[in-house]
Amino acid sequence: MNPKADLLQGTLDLLILKTLALEPMHGWGISQRIQQMSQDVLQVQQGSLYPALHRLEQRGWIDAEWGDSDNNRKAKFYRLTRAGRKQLDVETSNWVRLSAAVRQIVETA
Amino acid sequence: MIWRKLRSLFRKDRADRELDAELRFHLEKQIETNIAAGMPPAEARTAALRIFGGVEHVKEECREARGVALVETLMQDVRYGLRMMRRSPGFTAVAVVSLALGIGANTAIFSLINAVMLKMLPVKNPEQLVVMNWTARQWPDIGHDGSTWGKPPGPVSGSSLSYPAFQQLRTQNRVLSDLFGFADLEQTNVNVGGHAEIANGQLVSDNYFSGLGVQAIAGRTFTETDDLPGAEPVAVISFRYWDRRFGMDPAAVGKAIAVNGMPFVIAGVTPREFFGLSPGDYPDIWVPISMQPRVAPQWGGKEKSLLLNPGEWWVEPWCRLKPGVSRQQASAALSVILRQTMMAGLSSPPPPEKIAWVELRLGGKGLDSLRSDFSQPLLILMWVVGLVLLIACANVANLQLARSTARRKETAVRMALGAGRLRLIRQLLTESILLATLGGALGLALAFRGGELLLLLVSSSERPVALDVRPDAHILVFCTALSLVTGILFGLAPAVRATRLDVSPVLKAGTGGGSDRPRWLLGKALVAAQVGMSLLLLIGASMFVRSLQKLNSIDVGFNRENLLLFGVDGSLSGYKDERAGNLYQRIQEGIQALPGIRSVSLSRHGLIGDGSSQSGIDIPGYEKRPGEVLLAWSNSVGPGFFETMGIPIVLGRGLTIRDNETAPKVAVINEVLARRYFPNQSPIGKRFIWHEKDVEVVGVAANAKYYDLRQENPPTIYEPYLQYVEGLGRMVFAVRTASDPSLAIRDVRAAIAAVDRNLPLYNVRTEVQQIDSALIQEHLFAELTSCFGALALLLASIGLYGVMSYTVARRTGEIGIRMALGAAKGDIARMVLREVLALVAIGLGVGLPAALMCTRLIRNQLYGLSLSDPVSIAAAIGALAAVAGLAGYLPARRASRIDPMAALRQE
Repeated sequence: MNPKADLLQGTLDLLILKTLALEPMHGWGISQRIQQMSQDVLQVQQGSLYPALHRLEQRGWIDAEWGDSDNNRKAKFYRLTRAGRKQLDVETSNWVRLSAAVRQIVETA
Repeated sequence: MIWRKLRSLFRKDRADRELDAELRFHLEKQIETNIAAGMPPAEARTAALRIFGGVEHVKEECREARGVALVETLMQDVRYGLRMMRRSPGFTAVAVVSLALGIGANTAIFSLINAVMLKMLPVKNPEQLVVMNWTARQWPDIGHDGSTWGKPPGPVSGSSLSYPAFQQLRTQNRVLSDLFGFADLEQTNVNVGGHAEIANGQLVSDNYFSGLGVQAIAGRTFTETDDLPGAEPVAVISFRYWDRRFGMDPAAVGKAIAVNGMPFVIAGVTPREFFGLSPGDYPDIWVPISMQPRVAPQWGGKEKSLLLNPGEWWVEPWCRLKPGVSRQQASAALSVILRQTMMAGLSSPPPPEKIAWVELRLGGKGLDSLRSDFSQPLLILMWVVGLVLLIACANVANLQLARSTARRKETAVRMALGAGRLRLIRQLLTESILLATLGGALGLALAFRGGELLLLLVSSSERPVALDVRPDAHILVFCTALSLVTGILFGLAPAVRATRLDVSPVLKAGTGGGSDRPRWLLGKALVAAQVGMSLLLLIGASMFVRSLQKLNSIDVGFNRENLLLFGVDGSLSGYKDERAGNLYQRIQEGIQALPGIRSVSLSRHGLIGDGSSQSGIDIPGYEKRPGEVLLAWSNSVGPGFFETMGIPIVLGRGLTIRDNETAPKVAVINEVLARRYFPNQSPIGKRFIWHEKDVEVVGVAANAKYYDLRQENPPTIYEPYLQYVEGLGRMVFAVRTASDPSLAIRDVRAAIAAVDRNLPLYNVRTEVQQIDSALIQEHLFAELTSCFGALALLLASIGLYGVMSYTVARRTGEIGIRMALGAAKGDIARMVLREVLALVAIGLGVGLPAALMCTRLIRNQLYGLSLSDPVSIAAAIGALAAVAGLAGYLPARRASRIDPMAALRQE
């Protein structure tokens, strides 16, 4: 992560699921997409990304498939499964609740 | 989940290749991006790698995320553990052997418990088998052969039914899918090719084997037609009998034999594992139940046949319920039928409290005679071997502790290199469990042999115990679980200790270094615990031994030495009534004529543990107290009985050949009976009423034990068997020899063959063996607990020796200084021995109260000892102190021989 913006534990999972909800993507693409969408605030380090991907795959929330990337190079594409979609809903609502709560505290105090 | 992990483990190579490709792709993308941002290619690559971080580290984390790591590191640990074991073979051997002894002893006892108490019968769907018993509020007016339980005036129960009731239940019920029955013939005379031998026989209903789902491995079992009148008499033999008597000859099927003198043809052989319905019993031969009048006519009295007799109950029924029928429903329905059969043919119906109803119990584990005899002893032995295993565990834990000192350096290096503490503990535990597994495997082999040995110990000639103690699933699970638990038990504490260290001082110090006082405290605590547990076992063992000694030194009232016993049953070879009496007389004369024979006689019951008879007597002139019932024990004996047994006649005369059927009825009584029923007078010439006969007392014999060694001498009547030859059956001959009685066996057999060569004699033993087999449980306890006590002592002394040796080695420097400062060799030895004594004293201090509490648990197995028998306790403490002293003396001597100069230079 960007040292200035340490991700809460589990947040990376949410970001990966969210990114994959749009379209199947390889690891590189996921890291680029997160960086882009957060306007460079969040930089996902490979050392965390790949173990996270394998963990999510082990849990059955995402699937992987080898496919062609640009100029015909083979790349491993990850795709959200049905269980992963449900998990995304759960984690999203958790996140919304959590961030609202944090904001409440931060802004009132 | 586990499947997925396994799959990912086996596809590890492919998964690793894919991971490589995936990460390479990422790296290349990063490099491209860097180049696109204007870096030169070489720098772009370095930068990409820098951003990426350690590639191997990422790979490892990915693997761990997939759950592969656990299994993989386990394999690593196992490989490492095996390497460590190879590197210290001495340690490994001692640890594995002590564990093998501990686990083996446990598994052997468990295999007996398994066979006696847990195992299901080796038949089809044993869990469906149901035993049928009857219960009535009052004893019905029947004769009953089988087991009964319950004491009047409470309800009584029994195991057997009359054959007519059995048949009606079988044909009329709508609740059972099978109803079959059997009756024990016990000693059966089986004559094969002119050679007669006693076998263990059973009568069974024609559907016995089909109901149990047992199929013949050669020939066939019984079918419906075998029970029809006029059917050819056929028999089925067991595998062991087939092996023993026919050498597994396939031609045995179809062979003509004689069973109790009647011709039969062998129809088939049952499988090896089938032993009937009673664990420990292994019948040799089965014949159809309708053959009772042919093979056991004596049961029916004058009628010979019991098949139509509703008053004699002798068939033990077993059944299987129809699907969907509960035991309650079935017993209600069957009770109605049983009631009808009890009322049938009676002019006046019996009172309702004498009407029996049916009770059904689950019978999948078989009949429980062996279970009730051996459950408690086996459970006590299980505790004993459990303690032995604990002692073995403490030993190995101590060895591990000692070794972890030697391995401190290795541990420190690994921790310095970043190994987590849990990871190290896991690795050390893996080593322990490996040791335990090896010990367990060896123990299983020991247990297999041990189990068979134990069977020999619990078997007597009177009652051979045939059990299948081969390892089965239960035993394997038990042994595996025991090994795992053992490994964790002795491995955990040392592992936790070993990894609790401060790395840098250990690495800085030369060889050992650092204080390890707490570790030695743990080691010493373990040794003290071993001493305590050994004391417990030794006290138990010496109490069992003392108790057996006391039983053996009981004055039996007759001379047990040089006495040969054997049974003969003329009724099984067609000798009835007077002819049987005649036969026994001729045998007695034949043996008497042999050289080296002092005298010979015979009796209905052999003395000690061979059955007994009791009945009520009436004594004219004796004033009964209100409610008093006069009871006497009785034994029918032959001429010369008292002379042969060495029981003195104190008044009047003994019994002679002239006391026969034509002579007036006479009897000899013992002193207890004389004093109780003929107080303050000479009983000679007095009379009593006995089985409706008027009997004259002609002599008084000194008191002698009859059935039970432990019991007070009962009031006993000895009657001449020649006066009661009607229905005469088995008699036990007693032969008094001049020297070793076993040497006389051949001559005796020849003398009997000269009278009738088809007459088998059975259960040939000496009187000493006979008494021993009546004390079989006591022998079992005394011998096994002594063995286990010795084993415990050995293990504990190894532990003590080990700990003291290490203590001395660790304190070499200190001892060197003491000696340099002028301490004498004796002082040093005394210092070490003091430490040994302290350890032993602590162990005794804990073990003694524990032992005193535990003796209460074995109260039922002891005879003539107080629960805190001082001799046993002193013997145990003495043995322990002697062995502990020896184990401590060797290190003490080594300490006193330390060369102060060498010791100081080493420091």
